[in-house]
Amino acid sequence: MRAPPWLFTLVSIVAIIALWVGVTAAGLVSPLFLPSPAQVWSGAVDLFETGYNGTSLLHHIGISLVRVLAGFGTGAVVGTMVGLAMGSWRGFNVAVEPYIEFLRPLPQLGYLVLLIIWFGIGETSKIVLLFLTALPVAAVAARDGVLSVPAQRIRAARMLGANPRQIFFRVVLPSALPEIFIGMRLAIGLVYATLIAAEILAGSDGIGWVVFNAGQFLRADYVFVGVIIIGLMGLILDRTLVLAERRIVHWAGR
Amino acid sequence: MDRRLQNSGLVLRIGGALSVGAFVLAWQIISTSGLISTVLLPSPLAVIEALVRVSENGYRGTTLLGDALVTSARCLAGFALATIVGVPFGLAMGSSKRLAASFNYIIQFLRPLPPLSYMILLILWFGASEMSKVVLLFLTAFPIIVSAAMAGVRNVQGRRLQAARMLGASQHQIFWHVTLPSSLPLIFTGLKIAFAAAFQTVVAAELLTAQSGLGWMVLSASKYLQNALVILGVILLGLIGMTFSRLLHAADLRFIHWRGID
Repeated sequence: MRAPPWLFTLVSIVAIIALWVGVTAAGLVSPLFLPSPAQVWSGAVDLFETGYNGTSLLHHIGISLVRVLAGFGTGAVVGTMVGLAMGSWRGFNVAVEPYIEFLRPLPQLGYLVLLIIWFGIGETSKIVLLFLTALPVAAVAARDGVLSVPAQRIRAARMLGANPRQIFFRVVLPSALPEIFIGMRLAIGLVYATLIAAEILAGSDGIGWVVFNAGQFLRADYVFVGVIIIGLMGLILDRTLVLAERRIVHWAGR
Repeated sequence: MDRRLQNSGLVLRIGGALSVGAFVLAWQIISTSGLISTVLLPSPLAVIEALVRVSENGYRGTTLLGDALVTSARCLAGFALATIVGVPFGLAMGSSKRLAASFNYIIQFLRPLPPLSYMILLILWFGASEMSKVVLLFLTAFPIIVSAAMAGVRNVQGRRLQAARMLGASQHQIFWHVTLPSSLPLIFTGLKIAFAAAFQTVVAAELLTAQSGLGWMVLSASKYLQNALVILGVILLGLIGMTFSRLLHAADLRFIHWRGID
């Protein structure tokens, strides 16, 4: 009989946990570097009950989410509008493209330093950073979405007497939406990773800051808990967008 | 639509150059007019001056070229390791359901995780050394590359495999002549994404712990309010990132000439 694949997943998970328990129980690694599963669990209970450094964990999670949503929301909306304009109007594309193409590969953390000098170390610099992170990704996706609308759809609409406004809202925008959503998913992943880095570099709260600060005080148990929370939050953000996409763009792939 | 796609290269270049030229001019005018303090926003000329000064004298015991090379070397080391290990591993995972079932959940947990979140653990384990940075960059690029290679193998068209098998190809031949060439386009797409991610991460890591590299230079210069140097560093980082992505893209076009042909 052939073993089904899920059995391999199960065996692998059990093996890793057994190895983790074994190594920590045998004292091969100092708990400062690798806490045991039990220590991670009690660390999690501790964090959720008493918070970190006098502030509740939910506050840190909440503030990180607010930052992500504020930066992503503004960046994605403005970026999509810029991208739609770039796709529809050639002159605008020529003028704007160099900036978008330069901004896109630029390491965000590099210009965070400048933003801090300009806007202070508070919320503004972080949200501007996330705005600038999301903007070029959303713009490129929206432009490519517009440019890849099949020409015969537009010709058909024109032949049927649609005016440019109708063509844009009834043909171009719906056809471009699937690509716009792909861009949004890329953007939110990037924004989230950038936020965690920004909180580590220049934060005094937020879940990224908690993990880094706990690490500096050698609380590896808190670090493990924090990394798991960060992973789950990222997963939830991504899944939410996928759900929204399925809801809104039910015609994708047709 | 078709005509718009053919934005001929020349129009794009001239228009782009005009647009950038106008921007730099406006920037210089704003700086000279004193509307914004030159401490906050140094003029383009000041940035060029900073470039000349730092290339001649270096910055706090490091040379500009040296810093650029250190940043590139860290990034390439992590990326190259991830490629060397990740591509074969991903190919194997794509070919074997059991191997995929055993490791995929780890890869898919790591892939969306912001690398900086576990950087502090790596610093605890490996110290604030080059080692922790290279491991960080490896872990950034590795899950992306593995996922791409695995998807590449799984997307090989069944009829190609059947045709090869029918023509009497051995397993070995099928892998080298059908599976690998068919999955290379996706692998290269993964490599490009992985490189971009690694480059973002190397800069962040240098801001956090390094004593050298362009990321370190930017942070250090900002502490002394040498904004011209900060802007210079950011521009150089952008150019380096762009150059490497272009090189990867060129390699893609060159080696994967069968991309998109079915």
